Amino acid sequence: MESTVKPNLLISGVSDAGGGDYEKVKIDGVGTIKGSIAAVNFDTNGMTKVLGDLRANIMDCDGMIKVDGHLTAGKSVVDGTLKVKGSLKAESLAVNGFLRIDGDCESEVLDLEGSFEVQGLLNAGRLNAVLQWKGEAREIGVEFIKVRRTSKASWNKLWRWIMPKAVPGLKASVIEGDDIDLEYTEADIVRGNRIRIGKGCKIGLVEYRTELNAVSGAKIGKEVKTGD
Amino acid sequence: MEQELISKKELLDEKGISYGQLYRWKRKQLIPEEWFIRKSTFTGQETFFPKDLILTRIDKIMNMKDDLSLDELADKLSPLLPAFELRKADLFKRNIVSHVVLERFASEDKESVVYTYEKLLYFYIVDKLLQAGEMSLEEGDKLLQTMKDHYPKFEGKPCELLFMRKMGVSSFALLSVPAEIYFETGVKLIARLSMAESIEHLKGKLE
Repeated sequence: MESTVKPNLLISGVSDAGGGDYEKVKIDGVGTIKGSIAAVNFDTNGMTKVLGDLRANIMDCDGMIKVDGHLTAGKSVVDGTLKVKGSLKAESLAVNGFLRIDGDCESEVLDLEGSFEVQGLLNAGRLNAVLQWKGEAREIGVEFIKVRRTSKASWNKLWRWIMPKAVPGLKASVIEGDDIDLEYTEADIVRGNRIRIGKGCKIGLVEYRTELNAVSGAKIGKEVKTGD
Repeated sequence: MEQELISKKELLDEKGISYGQLYRWKRKQLIPEEWFIRKSTFTGQETFFPKDLILTRIDKIMNMKDDLSLDELADKLSPLLPAFELRKADLFKRNIVSHVVLERFASEDKESVVYTYEKLLYFYIVDKLLQAGEMSLEEGDKLLQTMKDHYPKFEGKPCELLFMRKMGVSSFALLSVPAEIYFETGVKLIARLSMAESIEHLKGKLE
């Protein structure tokens, strides 16, 4: 089969573009894509808005990006803000800043630093979260999860000054996984094989199969050992 | 014939799999989204699965995962209609649907005619209901026509077939799922079949 060469899309400054199938998309400045777009390489600096779906093999975004449809990505790195109205599916995703997804979020590897809000199911192979502000998800299902609060207190002070109520920490109704390692987490139910409940946690019910490790400061409503 | 459900916890215990595996398979699309049924129970929200479907699916995954990568597996298990075709003569020989069905509904077709998977599926479902003794041959005609006219409209989206009777008068309906349906009194629901389940069963028979 003869492969056609896909075009590139370059935006510098402020501009709109239609959707389409591209090899390389580079946006510096403010760009709006009026439709669905697919790209092998999607690289943006500044503010980008996609009014349809976005598909990218490699995605690198600095600044702010909003997707009205679904986002499907291979390896992706976002420094800044990523907002998706649909669902997100990725091979690996690293977000340094703020992530907001109205649908479900699926990724093999997920590194979140800063803050996030997922309204649906957060499903990841390995989820690493370092929270500077709050993290929220309805339901989390993983093979491995580690939640920490950032050690740098300087930002915390600023956030708390802006939003006095915001305390960095994770909030979810259900967290399920094989290896679970939590700190500063508030959840109704945590279920898994090996579970560590660290400081600042408030969990309603913990169901574990092999191992439960809880520090003395953690609040756990009920512990149940399941299986065999 | 309501679908039997199994809770996530029961499923994991019964099959000896972990949460991580289950979520991994979901990510790889080995387990379709619509099988995750969320229901509220006294402990809060719980996830349930259609029992027969999920148990056979998990057996399949566990049997094949040593030989195939998960991505290859996903292709094999895709819920869409497989691109599988069969000649009428072979259908007859392999006894996938009973001879009565073929005689009644396909007598005009030549032996060499090739049926699409869709067509095979229709025959299979008609056959299933006939064999169960729930449906007459005349009703089979109606059912076949209903599926022919309306099933393609779902474009592979999950749906169910309803077969009901009131005062001896029968009727069929195709319904997209998940959906709840209530009938007036006097209506007897005779069969409720998930098309996805039938596709799976037929796939098993053809392999």
